[in-house]
This record gives sequence, structure tokens and C-alpha cells, in this order.
Amino acid sequence: MINGKLLLSILALVILFLTFQSSVYAQSNYVLPYPSAMPGSIFYKLNLVKEQILKYWYFGDFGQFHYNLKQSDKYLVEAKTLFEYKQYLLGLQALKRSDKYFSNTLPYIIKAQKEGKNIVQKQNLLKEAGLKHINVINSIKEEIPEIFIWRPENSLSSRLDLKNAVQRSISIRKKYL
Amino acid sequence: MKITIYVAYCIFLFFITTFSYLFIDPNFSYLHNLYSGFAFDYRLQTTILYLLVIFLFFIFYFLFLWLVYKKRLNGEYIRLLIFTTVGVLFFSYPAVLSYDIFNYIATGKVIFFYHENPYIVMPIEFAGDSVLAFTHAANKIALYGSSWILLTLIPYTAGFGNFLLILFSFKLFIVLFYFALSFLIWKISKNIFSVCLFALNPLVLIETLVSSHNDVIMMFFALFSFYLLMRKKNILLAIIFFILSVFIKYATFILIPVFLYVFWRTIRKKAVDWQKIFYFSALLMLGGFFLSPIREEIYPWYAIWFLSFTFLIPEKKFFLNISLAFSFSLLLRYIPYMLTGTYIGQTPILKELLSFTLPVLYSLYYVLKKKI
Repeated sequence: MINGKLLLSILALVILFLTFQSSVYAQSNYVLPYPSAMPGSIFYKLNLVKEQILKYWYFGDFGQFHYNLKQSDKYLVEAKTLFEYKQYLLGLQALKRSDKYFSNTLPYIIKAQKEGKNIVQKQNLLKEAGLKHINVINSIKEEIPEIFIWRPENSLSSRLDLKNAVQRSISIRKKYL
Repeated sequence: MKITIYVAYCIFLFFITTFSYLFIDPNFSYLHNLYSGFAFDYRLQTTILYLLVIFLFFIFYFLFLWLVYKKRLNGEYIRLLIFTTVGVLFFSYPAVLSYDIFNYIATGKVIFFYHENPYIVMPIEFAGDSVLAFTHAANKIALYGSSWILLTLIPYTAGFGNFLLILFSFKLFIVLFYFALSFLIWKISKNIFSVCLFALNPLVLIETLVSSHNDVIMMFFALFSFYLLMRKKNILLAIIFFILSVFIKYATFILIPVFLYVFWRTIRKKAVDWQKIFYFSALLMLGGFFLSPIREEIYPWYAIWFLSFTFLIPEKKFFLNISLAFSFSLLLRYIPYMLTGTYIGQTPILKELLSFTLPVLYSLYYVLKKKI
């Protein structure tokens, strides 16, 4: 009887340990930017123009790496803010943009390596960024519904599979850890 | 007499060039065979030698100025002096008092070798690159304007990937602009004394021919734009050269009001009092020089900004003497670090004292003399 209780306690502890281990990620010192202008603002439109111009300013493999990572950071912070305000459609769009930019980073590192550049610092930076992103996305994940039906005023409603989208975002970043 | 002075001056120049090699950085592998560590191990002796160099340089400078003033030296002799000075000092080791030439090369490498934007990517991001061992501002993005970055394509390419060749290509590139600026001063002033004041000035020579700072390029473009307006030749070209100058290292931005005034007078075909223009330009550049601590600190080579204009108007005695006082005292600014090997402690205050005591004393003397 006592042995059974002890076994149950150990099992509970192991389950507890495994549960926490699967949901907690290492902390990252990577710093994300402050949220900038949000959709609907005139400054947001200006930022979109700036984003296109900056694409050419950040030339070179390292430059493009920085550009994509910077944009990914910006859209992630934007997504988090929008989700906090329950703007799920816009939040999801921002998160997808962040995913797209994040996925663009690695090819530039590989290209830089092929050109003989030392990429260790960039790999570490990407890893740090990935960890930070996952932390943020996990915090988003806790606050959003699994599915959300978006009903615009003059058009058909759409089904937003938020949890899946968020999980996909995490998977994209996990590849780089 | 003239030959004796010339021979003594040549020996002195060779001494400076030799002296410069005592400062080879221990991490500068390209000249490892010439490394002695003398400047770092024997700081007192090095400082005494440096002081000797500065004093002798100014003795020669004032001697040449006096001989020119007394019309005992002709243009031919001055030309010989300038070419000899360049011919000998060109071979000096550039990182004696500043490591800026390495920053120029590192920035050039970021854009022309790695094909990255130097305003985004720092040299330090290229881990393992040999220049990182001796470049002191590798953790900064490009500090200079786009004109300078684009111009560095010339010396960078001329080095064919060999670091020492690149280094001396940069030196040569800056020397060419020193010649051009000296020639421009002659063209504008038609005064051999003005040319001597600038082209044989020890601060100009040390900061340009030894340390290879790009300030002469910025000043050449600024002065050339004024020259074009003066000749009422190509006004569009004058604007282009002025913009080129601003985007070397931004300091000539401060000349915009003067440039616009001259531009406006020129297109309205009105007379321009060029003496006043040079006087106000010198004043503005002196203002820029005093404002430089906002960005970092006052560096001796920033004096080239106002010296280029001051020496065009040597009849402004107060301004001329203040400029000469600064030429001397700013070169003393290097002494505290050279002696102690540290930038902290007493060094910052000593630097300011050495830089400003002489000009302040002269200003006080001038004011008192006027009152009496």
C-alpha cells in the first residue's frame, strides 16, 4: 500500500517534470523592439513603404539576414499587440508575415557561408532570436481561442484556426534551434 | 644656406619616417619583422622624441615662412620642399597617432570585398578577418559619408587585395588630394605665403601625410566648389562638389549658409567679397571644430577644417596666429596618452590643457595689447 503511494508520488513528479519540460524554453537575452504603428494608422502605411525601401538598403547576405530578422521581430511584436487587443485577423496576418521573414533568414546565412564568411555569430543570433520568438508565441498561445470565426460587416465570415497557426509559427522557429 | 637648410630638413623628414615605425602595433602582422615595441615599452623616451619632432618641425616651418615672407625663397624652392616632404613622409607608418586609416580600409573591405552595407554591417561581424586584430573601431558601422565610402573604391581596388598595397594606396590617394588642395590654395590666393602656411604646416603634414586623415579631401571639394563659383564657371559642378564635400564627413555641412549666399550672389551676377567669404567660412569651420565634442572629442586633424580657409587670408593676423597656435598645441594633445598609455585618469584633462592653453594665452595677450 505504502509502496503504491510512493510509486504514485514518483509518477506524479515525473509527469509534472515532463510537463514543465515540454512547455518551458530556455530564456533568451535577445531583445525585441517596441511595437511600432498598428494597422489602420497612416504611419503604418508609411512603414510599409519604408519596409520596401529598406529591402534594398540592407544589401549583402548579412544585410539581408539582418533585414529579414528585423522585420520578423517587428511583425511578431505587432502580432502580440494585436492578439492582446483581440484583433485576431490582423494579428494572424502579422504573425504570418513574421514567419515569412523568419524563414527568409537562414538561406542568407547559408549563402554567406558559401561565400566564405564566418557565420557563427549569425547562427547564434538566429538561435537566440528563435528562442525569444518561441517564448513570445507561447505567451500568445495561452491567450487566444483555438478557433475564431471572424465576421466582417459586409462580407462572408472566415474561420481562423489560431492554435494551428501559432503552432506552425513555433515549428518554423524550432527548426533553427 | 638654402642647401644646408634643405639637407637638414631632408634628414629631419627621414628621422620622422623612421620614428613612425617605432609605433607598429604588435598585432599588425604585415610588418611583424619591423616590430620593436619601443613606443609601448619606452614611453618616456618616445614622448621626448615626439616632442623633439614637433619642436623641430615648427622651427623648420617658421624658418620657411620667414624666408618666404622676406622673399628669400621662390616658388621653385617651395615646390621642391613640398615634393620632398611628400616623397619621404609617404613612406611613414600611418598608425602612429591614430588608427583611422585601418578603419577606412576595414570599411572599404566590408563593402568592396564582402559586398555588405557598411552602414548596417560592422567589420567585427566578419569574425576571423585579419584586419580585426589591429582595427580599433571595428565595432562601429561606417562613420563617414557616402562620398568617402564610394571614393575608397579607388585605393581599395588599387591594392589588388594585398593589405600593404591597399594601405599605401590609401596613403597615396590622400597625398594626391593634399597636392590638389595645396594647388587650389595657390590658384585662389596666388600667394606663395598662403601655400607655405598650408602645405608645410606640421599639423597638416602629420595628420595628412603620416596619419592619412581624409579631411583634406573634404576640404578640397569644399574649396573647389567655391573656386568654381569664384570663376563663375560651372555652377552645377560647384553644387555637386559641395555636396561631395558634405558627404565625406559631414563637417562642411556648416558651410551651407555661406555657400548659398555665394551661390545666390553668383547667379544674380553680383560681386562677392571673397576675403569675407573665406573669413566667415574659417569662422564657421572653427565653430564646427569647437562643436566636435558633441559627437566625440576634438581631434587634432579637425583643425584642417579651418586652417584651409584661414591660410587663404593671412592678413587677418589674430586669426592666423590663433590657427598657428592651434596647429602647435593640438599636436601636443597626443602626449598624455603617449606617455601614460591610458585614456583615463589625468589624460583627458591634460589633453584639454595642452590643446587650449597656448591659443587662450595668445587670445588674452591680443585682447590686453589692444586695450593698452
